[in-house]
Amino acid sequence: MQLVLQIVANGLLIGGLYALLAVGLTLIFGVLRVVNFAHAEFMMLGMYGAYWLWSIYGLDPYVSVFLITPVVFLLGVAVDRLVVQRSIGKPDVTVVFATLGLSILLQNAALTLWRADIRSVSTFATGSVFVVGGVRLSVAMTVSFAAALLFALGLWFFLTRTMYGKAIQAVAQNRRAAALMGIDVKRVYLFTYSVAVAAAGAMGVLVAPIFTIFPRVGQTHIVTIFVIVVLGGLGSVPGAVVAALLVGIIRAGAGFLIGTAWGELAYFAVFLLVLIVRPQGFFGRRGAEVYGG
Amino acid sequence: MLEVRNVTVDFVGLRAVDHVSFAAEKGQIVGLIGPNGAGKTTLFNVVSGLIRPTSGSVVFEGQDLSRLGPADRNRKGIGRTFQVVKPFGGLTVLDNVVVGALTRGQGLVEARQTARATLQRLRLDRFADTIAHSLPLALRKRLEVARALATGPKLMLLDEMMGGLNPTEVNETLSLIQELNAEGLTFLVIEHNMSAIMRIAEKVLVLNQGAVLVEGPPAVVTRDEQVISVYLGEPIESA
Amino acid sequence: MRISDASPISPAGARIAAAAALVLLLCVPLVVRDIYRLDLGITVLIWASLATAWNISGGFAGGLSLGHAAFFGVGAYTSTLLFLRLGITPWIGIFAGAVLAAMLGALLGVITFRLKGPFFVLATLAFGIVVHIINVNWRGLTRGAAGLLLPFRGGPQNMLFLNLWAYWYTGLGLLVLTVGVSMGIERSRLGYYLVALREDEDAARSLGVRVVRSKVIAAAVSAALAACAGSVYAAFIQYIDPDSTTQFELSVQIALVAIVGGMGTTFGPVLGAAIVIPLGEMLRARLGGGAALVVYGFLLMVIVLTAPNGAIAGVRLLVRRLRRLIDSRRKADA
Ligand SMILES: Nc1ncnc2c1ncn2[C@@H]1O[C@H](COP(=O)(O)OP(=O)(O)OP(=O)(O)O)[C@@H](O)[C@H]1O
Ligand SMILES: [Mg+2]
Repeated sequence: MQLVLQIVANGLLIGGLYALLAVGLTLIFGVLRVVNFAHAEFMMLGMYGAYWLWSIYGLDPYVSVFLITPVVFLLGVAVDRLVVQRSIGKPDVTVVFATLGLSILLQNAALTLWRADIRSVSTFATGSVFVVGGVRLSVAMTVSFAAALLFALGLWFFLTRTMYGKAIQAVAQNRRAAALMGIDVKRVYLFTYSVAVAAAGAMGVLVAPIFTIFPRVGQTHIVTIFVIVVLGGLGSVPGAVVAALLVGIIRAGAGFLIGTAWGELAYFAVFLLVLIVRPQGFFGRRGAEVYGG
Repeated sequence: MLEVRNVTVDFVGLRAVDHVSFAAEKGQIVGLIGPNGAGKTTLFNVVSGLIRPTSGSVVFEGQDLSRLGPADRNRKGIGRTFQVVKPFGGLTVLDNVVVGALTRGQGLVEARQTARATLQRLRLDRFADTIAHSLPLALRKRLEVARALATGPKLMLLDEMMGGLNPTEVNETLSLIQELNAEGLTFLVIEHNMSAIMRIAEKVLVLNQGAVLVEGPPAVVTRDEQVISVYLGEPIESA
Repeated sequence: MRISDASPISPAGARIAAAAALVLLLCVPLVVRDIYRLDLGITVLIWASLATAWNISGGFAGGLSLGHAAFFGVGAYTSTLLFLRLGITPWIGIFAGAVLAAMLGALLGVITFRLKGPFFVLATLAFGIVVHIINVNWRGLTRGAAGLLLPFRGGPQNMLFLNLWAYWYTGLGLLVLTVGVSMGIERSRLGYYLVALREDEDAARSLGVRVVRSKVIAAAVSAALAACAGSVYAAFIQYIDPDSTTQFELSVQIALVAIVGGMGTTFGPVLGAAIVIPLGEMLRARLGGGAALVVYGFLLMVIVLTAPNGAIAGVRLLVRRLRRLIDSRRKADA
């Protein structure tokens, strides 16, 4: 029983981290209709930011997160202007391969600049755990979990309760109608993309104390994030959160029961199955897979 | 020839077609009219198999089509055009039509001959080598007809062919329809242009909010009180 | 979904040019004596075949696959394992690999034909990754990350040669096969159907084009040809492992080569390989692996954003201009 609780707790925590990435990715898809293949690269950049600020200035990631997140936001603005917006409305090849190219570029720029060495940040949070009801929880994981949930909740509130949030939703539903209503669609794209990648960057910083840092670290996560986002229904924010937590638990459980590699295989199989049987995911708009692509 | 039996189509929170039944006999030209959003195009989508109705069925030449997809329905003899034209934009006009001729089982050489003949008939032959997306709208609409004709249909569904055409073009289109009809092709025609419908249709079906409002000969339908109030606004003199 | 302005029928000029190019390619080993260059040339031939294979489903039918490395790997592993375990020559193994890949491709086609745009891309990506994970972890069969070494046994009857020029001709044979199939499809009923489906699926269906059948055949043929390239690659390099055969990056590169050259056309992917592979080699030699990939990524971005029809569109434009120039000269002379 204790073991089950521990596995579920581990799964939930890791799922929370995924949620922070997945919510951004799904938001970008919902609003811009672009699958941001470069999404996890912004997390990688956040990690390196945390590493350099820690190793040069001794800044704790929990401090530097407030410096790095705005920088990643600005980077998002630039990328949206230069790459993403230019691909919108173009044929599928352009939409897919523009961000894929960006991902290759960023990954290898990191590789060239900082080499393939595995780096790590060690702070008070690195090894520390606290125990609740016999379940051991990593401090760093818990902090990032909380940040992820806060972000998701804040976003949900923003999207459903504020004027600008509603404008974003209008664009997600029908960009032409939104434009006719006087909404500056391009501004909405810019804002959405930058906020989403800034969240990915923030997550990179927050997990720096516990994850190893290397140029291709994004690559190891992005496919899991795709799985989550499709399970939750591309474009659905609550769907992404639920699916992220679910995948976290499945991963932790399967990893324990049948080994990491076969566990991974299991959820890819589930992913393919969902795409085939219910491509709109569990929360997604029906027909999105046919008409929205 | 075509029987639509009690067809209903529900979209999320909206009934687009509401228990519609009607029949078209071989050799008839049946007009389908109604205000915007009445469900006319949706009904075409059901007949051509692009969407499955929530309930009801479509019978063509005595055979229930429910299990057949659009491709097989076309091979049974149902051709259609699209209100929002859907050319194969990257192909030449000729190649667009060749696709239609190929699916009826013709070889490439024969299909190309059929395509050329069809283009000639629709006086599109001058544009055979033009890339379809650079064609003006009126011609793209004609290309829709050419492509569908090349498949050798027995029943043709025309969705707002005349919108945006000038009177001469409308006349041309009407005489083409009548010519093809004389050769035995059955038509189901969606049209907002009432005087055009009146000139060719044997029977008119008025759809309103998904349901059949009135069905009958054009002269009768246009004098119907209900039709006048929901659709026409004022009586139309028969031409 | 419009991808290229290419009509399914390529101009007769292209065919004449192709025949001339083939004659030149046949002469290459007689002229090029430099081992390094010939080696690179063989790599280009294999990549040209692989991209041509991808293009049949990706370009003609518009299904942007990011999982084609899986089929390449199936080909490489099938012929190699049949050779190692059962002593069956890769000349036969290549067909076994092609059949196996065709079945897998058809399966993938059946389960993905309904998906559009990003959904299709993600499904093929996941499929490729599943195959890669199996490849890495099914050590009893594939020896996992350790890879498989092809012992030099028997020689030509086992697709193993002492001379590079023999590999050149094997690679050229592979290219002729894939381009031949691609041309055949382009000029066939199936070619028309695929392009029609790509341009507008609803219109194509309403004209009687059967979606599943057309897409599944395309997927199977494409997979089979990619597998053939895999078998030839294995015999050429004589060592295969998951990283060099089924990795995701490889799938991206296959698509990249076809896109840079011009997807949806028969000769675009070949041109793409002739540009991308030597360029990649040069960049790697000059700048190192990471920086070369930075350029790759940048190139990919710029091409899809500014010239999604690829290099072949430029070539066509050039040819047309030249022709007009020549015509006007002729008129001026007359
Ligand atoms: N795929 C769909 N999903 C949801 N609603 C739809 C869909 N297609 C049509 N509708 C709705 O169904 C109703 C009927 O539409 P339809 O296109 O059949 O009307 P119509 O009679 O052809 O109108 P028009 O004269 O404007 O062409 C409309 O309210 C439309 O918004
Ligand atoms: Mg309509």
